[in-house]
Amino acid sequence: MVRHDVVVVGAGVAGMRAAIEASRYGADVAVVSKLHPTRSHSGAAEGGINAALGNASEDSPEQHTFFTVKGSDYLGDQDAIAVMCEEGPGDIYELEHMGCIFSRTPDGKIAQRPFGAGGAPRTCYAADITGHVLLHVLYEQLVKSQVTVYEEWFALDLVMDGDRCVGLTAWDLVHGGVQGVEAGAVVLATGGLGRMYRGTTNAYACTGDGMSMAWRAGVALKDMEFMQFHPTTLKANGVLITEGCRGEGGYLRNAEGDRFMFNYAPNAGELASRDVVSRAEQTEIDEGRGVDGCVLLDLTHLGAKKINTVLHGSRELAMDYAGVDPIEEPIPVRPGSHYHMGGVDTDVWGRTSMPGLYAAGECACVSVHGANRLGGNSLLETVVFGRRSGAAAAQDVRSNGSGGVFSPSAVRVAERRIAQLLYNFDGVRPHVIRDELADTMYSNAGIFRTAEGLEQCVADIADLRERYRDGLGVVIQDKSRTFNSDLIQALELGSMLQMADCLVTGAVARTESRGAHSRLDHPDRDDEHWLRHSLTSYDDGQVALDYKAVTITEFEPAVRTY
Amino acid sequence: MEFTLKIERYDPDTDQGRLQEFTVDAPETATLLDVLDVVKDTVDGSVTYRKSCRMAVCGSCGMRMDGAAVLACKTPMAPLAEEGRVPVISPMGNLPVIKDLVVDMDPFWAKFKAVKPWLEEDDRPPVKEWRVQQEELDRIMKEALCIQCGCCVSECNSMEADPDFLGPAALAKAQRFVGDARDRDRSERLRTLNGPHGVWDCTRCYFCNQRCPKGVDPRDAIAKLGAEAFRERLTRDEGAKHAKVFVSSTYRGGYLRETELVPKTIGPIGAITQIPFALQLARAGKVPNPLSPHKAKDNAEVKRLWKLLEAQTPTTRERATRGADGAGA
Repeated sequence: MVRHDVVVVGAGVAGMRAAIEASRYGADVAVVSKLHPTRSHSGAAEGGINAALGNASEDSPEQHTFFTVKGSDYLGDQDAIAVMCEEGPGDIYELEHMGCIFSRTPDGKIAQRPFGAGGAPRTCYAADITGHVLLHVLYEQLVKSQVTVYEEWFALDLVMDGDRCVGLTAWDLVHGGVQGVEAGAVVLATGGLGRMYRGTTNAYACTGDGMSMAWRAGVALKDMEFMQFHPTTLKANGVLITEGCRGEGGYLRNAEGDRFMFNYAPNAGELASRDVVSRAEQTEIDEGRGVDGCVLLDLTHLGAKKINTVLHGSRELAMDYAGVDPIEEPIPVRPGSHYHMGGVDTDVWGRTSMPGLYAAGECACVSVHGANRLGGNSLLETVVFGRRSGAAAAQDVRSNGSGGVFSPSAVRVAERRIAQLLYNFDGVRPHVIRDELADTMYSNAGIFRTAEGLEQCVADIADLRERYRDGLGVVIQDKSRTFNSDLIQALELGSMLQMADCLVTGAVARTESRGAHSRLDHPDRDDEHWLRHSLTSYDDGQVALDYKAVTITEFEPAVRTY
Repeated sequence: MEFTLKIERYDPDTDQGRLQEFTVDAPETATLLDVLDVVKDTVDGSVTYRKSCRMAVCGSCGMRMDGAAVLACKTPMAPLAEEGRVPVISPMGNLPVIKDLVVDMDPFWAKFKAVKPWLEEDDRPPVKEWRVQQEELDRIMKEALCIQCGCCVSECNSMEADPDFLGPAALAKAQRFVGDARDRDRSERLRTLNGPHGVWDCTRCYFCNQRCPKGVDPRDAIAKLGAEAFRERLTRDEGAKHAKVFVSSTYRGGYLRETELVPKTIGPIGAITQIPFALQLARAGKVPNPLSPHKAKDNAEVKRLWKLLEAQTPTTRERATRGADGAGA
């Protein structure tokens, strides 16, 4: 049993930023993460982080706000978007002073490149390894701040006293055993859930654990049906090739060599928003103008020098995982599940409906991305709302103290459950259910959706959840308590099944097309009925659906074209 | 495609190790990590290793294949299978094994933390970014590529002899700050790094450069730290003195004079204690005649080479200026 004022779950950019901020407020802070912090998936972000610095052209936070609202297909909350865009530049300067190696303009300022649907060159970058650079800089600051890190502890469940969150239980992967983690406030920063799809850019660790913990504890999840498909991922293993490739001038071509994007987005072309580009690519592929199920990302005209300096990482990935040198020939790419816009419903300070519980980063939904996120806005979200939730959690503890009693029985209950899972010998291996889930999500809840497909998906997930039986339907072959990754993968599967259920329940109900949620049977946006957030909540193991209003301040919904 | 590999298993509960062979089917594009996943999913769920990003950026899956450190997710398997090779997969070296291919990274991170791994700058709140030229930042870009996977440490010969040696990963991290135009702690860093178990304890075997999966070239980073230390006149360490004699001796005669190497490295008293060892070497015919001039035939060419090298070495560095409302300060 350990005790801290603020406990952050997850150690990517959002989690570490929250922990650093909370510790600046004088709180005793700890981080619980199933991975060592530098293994987090924030490190795979490549292209950059948006902020209206105005280093490459005239720009303003208002411009940034407008293009983000438009990109969200008007589902983003405009007050939250304004906060992010106004505070963004300050956060970038702070990251730079922490040591972030941003690429530079000739006069030594932070360089900025254009990204899809941004309206201006607003994306700050460190070559094409921006996330890696940010993640390591924040880890450096975390080490400096002497925050306690419980590495390779897998968070199991939130612990409540009445309606207040007072901590969590976690499985210590290296040593075995359930640990009670008592906290004055908990910040969830556990990232996304892309692994529930076949063909994803996401790491194996992106299994929606934090969202599912919150959901089981009765906290509502918002806009779960919105999953972004990134237009440029590699066929073999889904690895991401950055939007920066198009930002630097790369072309998308079909089998006939045509730059087809101008047929879909006459003005923006390759730099339309991600949902638009992914749909265009899929249409080209479906109509027979693809190349082995892909389209071609052509960088050859950029030249070796540019590729080797600002797109060096992308070249390495293309060579390692597609056997293609982009200096010589185009990279075959296709859309893949990439970023989940939905998550734990929070306000602009990361507060959830549960006292003592906060969330930030991809596992949260503030919402600043609405129905479609702009490239470069996710890293920005992690630092702005990571910082804000860390500050709010620390202040919460200062004014409310511990807030409740952590009952030790929570640890015993968790121990008993793990023992039951380990000593179950009856069922299938977890990968059987995991693969079936990934297949049905890809086929039925992908880029283009229909009522028929989504209903099939709902049925499939119900069947899979029944076979999984809260973990008692799968066999964990490793019976050891030391570094049992077989156990962790079985638990992660549980999170994914629950979150897939929420995602698809939201998607079936939303009979319109908005942003990344594209219904072939309801091709138009329907503001009259659907300009609202969905809320999915826990109802005795099943998903209950509700809605809430979108905050509109300045920008009235308009037709969205690029 | 069929893949066969042998995995070095270690069970911490029984303290038993064994080599176990597996044969599985996987796509032709499979990496070592993909093959391990098929083994774990379908044959034996207790086979244990770390993984996450599967795109060579998170640094989780460092391990050894046939004795050399690799990232499992960056190692294609088809070429081996085509040759009929059955690779042996084992945990990284120089770190204690927890279970199968999982090693205890705590000693690794302890060294990381020992080099003060953060930027030291003035504590004034940032108004704008530091003004720095791209060329200045390019100097540390290689070191910044490091993903802390531990492959270099696994292969480090010096660390095998001296477990307290800071090692290639931590030293490359240190160079990332020493070389940063914004850091104000450069001299202090160099003083610490030039102490025991530091920069000069590297044996220059270049295994770290060879095995690094990200092109960080840690040995080059260590060399840069040595050069920076010389520039700061930090030459009191025996390793630094040793390097100095190499320089002066070859400059003068074109050859290294072993007889002056020892006294000038460890001092005259230390050299006397080494006389029995020298005599032993002499008996084995391994000591050149100390009285012969031992000079290269064309020493002028050696000196020309030196001039060339000196001309290429930058002497001044442009520091960063604090950006405030567009002006440096």
